[in-house]
Amino acid sequence: MKKNRLLDLLTNNRFYKSVFRHDYPDNDISRSEVVTGNLLLHIQSVKVHKNTIRTGYTLGLGLISFYLFVILTITGILLMFYYIPSLERAYNDMKDLEFAVSYGIILRNLHRWGAHGMVAFVFLHMCRVFYTGGYKQPREFNWGIGVVLLIITLFLSLTGYLLPWDQLAFWAITIVAKLIGTVPPESILGANLSQLVLGGTIVGQNALIRFYVMHVVVLPLVAAVLIGVHFWRIRKDGGLSRPAEE
Amino acid sequence: MDKKEELVIFPKSPNKTYGLMELTKTKSFQVESGPDNTVSSWPHLFFRELLLFMGVFIALMIISLLFNAPLEEQANPSNTPNPAKAPWYFLGLQEMLSWTHPFWGGIFIPTVVAIILILVPYFDRSQKGVGIWFAPERKLANLLFTIFVVLAVGLIVVGEFLRGPNWQLFWPWNMPSPH
Ligand code: HEM
Repeated sequence: MKKNRLLDLLTNNRFYKSVFRHDYPDNDISRSEVVTGNLLLHIQSVKVHKNTIRTGYTLGLGLISFYLFVILTITGILLMFYYIPSLERAYNDMKDLEFAVSYGIILRNLHRWGAHGMVAFVFLHMCRVFYTGGYKQPREFNWGIGVVLLIITLFLSLTGYLLPWDQLAFWAITIVAKLIGTVPPESILGANLSQLVLGGTIVGQNALIRFYVMHVVVLPLVAAVLIGVHFWRIRKDGGLSRPAEE
Repeated sequence: MDKKEELVIFPKSPNKTYGLMELTKTKSFQVESGPDNTVSSWPHLFFRELLLFMGVFIALMIISLLFNAPLEEQANPSNTPNPAKAPWYFLGLQEMLSWTHPFWGGIFIPTVVAIILILVPYFDRSQKGVGIWFAPERKLANLLFTIFVVLAVGLIVVGEFLRGPNWQLFWPWNMPSPH
């Protein structure tokens, strides 16, 4: 087979081969080595069913949810350099992001709109899975993991909502806190639960740091692990669902 | 390939000691493999994945360049906005809260909905229609799920666009301005 000269120059050298450990993937063996020899790619299978890559089947909704999660993780880490979860600093840090930090407002916008998008796309992904019957045996358990992921996505958004410490944030969380306080019996369970969530009886400094730690450490970690399990189960359940073959 | 599968794809004729399996156009030998409707992930899957990532990132970037995330005045516990609204994805809950004792709408119903959702695959067990959008064999399931989606989205729309001061109903064009 005739090789492209430029491609040959780029791939037929010791450096390329030390990194990728296989030839340019133009035959079946090196195509499979692309997958098996790569830490990030090998969670996927070497071959996929044609139905899996049909755009009209998944509409890419699960993958979009995942990509938004990745973008949110990266922009979130960058935001952590500028944001300090204290009552004195939090709101001013938001103002600084808008007016003082170079491209800070874009960073914040990416994170905010990405979060709204993730909630929407995870929900749409669930609808896709339902309407294609993708939760039937052997995928029942992965559907359950999905439901938990949806709930965690909602909690991630909610805990992030308080952090700007503006009127919107404060009163939204006040509503939620009141809500938690209504779990019966209110005087025992409800009161204790809202005490646990807020670290007190009002939405103040203790609540802010609790929401912050949940938002930047606990929930993202749980989400990342569950997404890992979700993807692993897709493999173990035999790839994506597809129509029965004739 | 296990024996049973092989016999289905390459049936044996009792009168012949030889058989032509199949002529296929590929770049490598296909020994003991039948037609399987798969493609290699590289490049078919990975390029699509990369393309989708670029699309998602570009779209999000455009939105972020055009619209700024909201930031209101600094939190002020002594100045209650009317109405105070939760973020949109919780407005369905907030809407239900306003009907009865908040526990039912805000905690009980969502918990029950989550449990039912998790249990769906254990009730709906027929394998008919898997892998097909809106399969006709699944009319009832699809109908029930659609009712759920319409209710969930509908409550959010009511909470977001139709609720004004004191959580009263208003048409969007009659909505009093806040404060
Ligand atoms: C953080 C949230 C989630 C992420 C990142 C995610 C990601 C994915 C991805 C990438 C796929 C591959 C197919 C596709 O792209 O559609 C998938 C499949 C699947 N997801 Fe999710 N998902 C999430 C939430 C959910 C939810 C909420 C549910 C259901 C309640 C769910 C249930 C499933 C099932 C059952 C499959 C296999 C579908 C099939 O075989 O057709 N996932 N998920």
